Amino acid sequence: MSQASQTLPRPWLTGLREAIPLLGGYVPVAISFGLIATQAGFSAWEAVLISTLLYAGAAQFLFVGMVAAGSPLWLVVGMTLLINLRHVVYAPNIAPWLTTSRWWPWLMHGLTDQIFALAHSRLPQMPADRRLGWFTGAALLAWFSWIGGTALGAVAGEELTRRWPLLGEVMPFAMPALFLVLLAPRFTSRRWSLALFSSIAIALLLNVFGLTNAAIPLAAICGAACFYLVRSGTTARGDRNE
Amino acid sequence: MSNALWLAMLATALGTLLMRLLPLLWMRRRLARLDGDDDGLDAMPQWLGILGPLMIAAVLGVSLVPTTADATSWLATAIGVAATLAVWWKLRSLGWPVAAGVAAYGVVMLLG
Repeated sequence: MSQASQTLPRPWLTGLREAIPLLGGYVPVAISFGLIATQAGFSAWEAVLISTLLYAGAAQFLFVGMVAAGSPLWLVVGMTLLINLRHVVYAPNIAPWLTTSRWWPWLMHGLTDQIFALAHSRLPQMPADRRLGWFTGAALLAWFSWIGGTALGAVAGEELTRRWPLLGEVMPFAMPALFLVLLAPRFTSRRWSLALFSSIAIALLLNVFGLTNAAIPLAAICGAACFYLVRSGTTARGDRNE
Repeated sequence: MSNALWLAMLATALGTLLMRLLPLLWMRRRLARLDGDDDGLDAMPQWLGILGPLMIAAVLGVSLVPTTADATSWLATAIGVAATLAVWWKLRSLGWPVAAGVAAYGVVMLLG
């Protein structure tokens, strides 16, 4: 271990600290999930088990909603997996910064949208010997907060939302604020700025119009199209953007 | 939960885990194959490297929509975004810009 690494706090503690902003988004949403799951007829421990094993926000809401609506189970499984399909691009994107440890494949259970965003920005900036600890701390904090929030929502969700309605509206802003900070350094050229702005705008519009589940993959694909179109345009004119 | 429902939940959980895990194993194999010829970033297909940041941008877009989409919440979102970016511009850190953004958002929501 390098001397510089020795003077830094333990990597898992750094991971824990850097994942704290995620709690602002995870806990209120997990409380909502716990509440909705119990209202849909699941017991508190069943809701907690779903959050522990499935651990995928939008997919869990869909799973519980479709089961409550009496949809065929094959369709429930198919639709839930379809929503989670976007996860396939996450691990390869951070793979160049992962060490050879055998723990990494198991830690992929914690690779949610938010942990991916955090890891994609932070892993390249830290020495290789700190990455496993950092990711473990960040991913476990997020996972436990999701499980804890679900339990809280299943047991006392109604009471909590009645007593502090504003808290549930304010804290989730920590998520977009965090993503904003993670993305800001990536606006390095006109080409990237255009692609990133279009992804943000399209995802926002799709979500406003109720297409929440399709918003992430569709917006990312549109952003990529923008990225390649700008290159084609500038290649045709003989310009350079980067 | 019935046995069938348990099975459905377990199948979904396993499928989700595999979607997160198998691409890592594929990429690791690819990196190992190209070891010595390329560094890790060059081993990644270009489209995949582009899609990563754009996925984060899309997650940001989705999360920008307030829980209650009224005029106050949208104003609070705009001010929260401005506060976050202003503090990030000044400090270039992770925690303070998020705290400033949440505080600004909260103040507008309280006053609104």
